Parts: sequence; structure tokens; C-alpha cells
Amino acid sequence: MEQAPKGYNTLEKSDIFNNEFMVHINALYNFAYKLTLDEDEAKDLLQDTCMKAFRFINSFKKGTNAKAWLFRILKNSFINDYRKKSKNPGMVDYQEVETYYNSEDGEGQFQATPDLRSETVKGMLGDEITNALNSMDVDFRTVIILCDLEGFKYDEMSKILDIPIGTVRSRLHRARNVLKEKLATYAASMGYK
Amino acid sequence: MMSKKARCPDEEHCLELVRLMLDDEATEADSLYVTKHIDGCYRCYDNYDLENAIRKAVKEKAGDLKVSDELVSEINSKIAL
Repeated sequence: MEQAPKGYNTLEKSDIFNNEFMVHINALYNFAYKLTLDEDEAKDLLQDTCMKAFRFINSFKKGTNAKAWLFRILKNSFINDYRKKSKNPGMVDYQEVETYYNSEDGEGQFQATPDLRSETVKGMLGDEITNALNSMDVDFRTVIILCDLEGFKYDEMSKILDIPIGTVRSRLHRARNVLKEKLATYAASMGYK
Repeated sequence: MMSKKARCPDEEHCLELVRLMLDDEATEADSLYVTKHIDGCYRCYDNYDLENAIRKAVKEKAGDLKVSDELVSEINSKIAL
């Protein structure tokens, strides 16, 4: 069994933090913003993540997948904050969203490809793509961001999100259907041909 | 190749495999099946093209925020490195 890494000295901690963690700071910030959709909350979430990463740096093995490790910390921090806010009336419960999309009703029958052409997507502006993403449920938006924007593999996403790989696949499949529908709806409303 | 209007009886299955292939998660056998299938099925080729376009659009246009130097300094000062 692999042993946990020994405690790092100050110099080693500094080296790991600056050279293995901080290189991912922009990606972490983007992810934080995509989750919170609020600049101030994203900055708070990012700072919180960095603090936790440093606090638990001894549990990180130098030279391994720092990006996935950090994203997992950020995701967990976001979930904890989100669940706190969900105690307020009117806020959607994270588990309710997951349960709905796992239900028989949520699956539905195969939806044929909506009336959307690749040329239309290629011509869309950044805001249009971002708006479509931001309007998705956070669990669907998360898997699209992790896979398509950050390039994580399914097994990495499984560890970041703490869900089975099968769930990663099915959630991605549903998320892509939702995104496609949103882009098609937007294109239709804007009169794209 | 099947006509543009023809529905593909294997469309749903093919779409799942297309997505796996584009995510670089498909088996070699599945990738070979997709490559061969879309060569003869207009509808599934269309799906492949659209899926590819959406992925590229997300990667290139979904935002590229940069952390300010000020925020980086603030983080470093809190950690006291």
C-alpha cells in the first residue's frame, strides 16, 4: 500500500505551492466563477481553496495530479457553501436536481438532434456560448467545464466529483443534450439559419 | 451514403460513441465503428460535426478569466510564503 507522503519542510511547501499549485490559479478561478456565477464569490471560493490546499499540503504527493487535487478541494468547498445556501426558501437543492435527472421521467426518450447546425455554433459569439452554459443546472455545467474546458479525463472527473465513472458518462451525455437544446433555442430566437 | 433525410436506426447508440470518441474515452473497436459508420451515414456524420463544433466553441469561447496580481498577492500573504 502506498504510504502517505512525509511532512514537507517550509522550502518544500513553498516549492509545491508556487510551482505545482499556483500554475493552475487561472483555471481554478474560471471554475470557481462558472460555479458561483459571481465575481466576488468566485474570489472568496478561490482564496478558500488555496488556503485549504496549503493547510493540507502534506496529504498531496509531490509531482502527482495537482490540478485534479485542487479542483476537488474547490468543488467540495463549493458544495458545502451551496448546501448552506440551499437551506433558504426557493433555492434549488443540489440532490433534488441530481435525483430528477436520474429518474425515469428525467431520462425520457432519445431526443433527435435539435435543429442546430455546426456552422451556426461556429458563428456564435463568446457571450452566447457562456450564457447557454451559465443557464444550465450547476451539476451539468460542471461536467461540461471539467471535460471540455479543462480537459479532465473521466477517471479524473470521477475523483474530483466523487461519483462513479458510469455516472460521469451518463451525466455528461445528458449535459451535452441540454447544452445542445439551449444553443438551438437561442439560435432559433436570434433567427440563425 | 444514406440520404440527408433518412433517419438512422442506430443514431442514439452512435451519438453516445461519437461523444466517447471525441472525449478520447472510446475503445479502439468503438472508434473504428464510428469512423466507418459516419462515412456512410449523413445524419450521424452531421451529429459528429455538431458535437465537435460545440466542444470547440466551449473551449475557445467560454471565457478565459485571469486572476489579478492583487489577488495572487493577497493569497500569498495569507499563506505567508
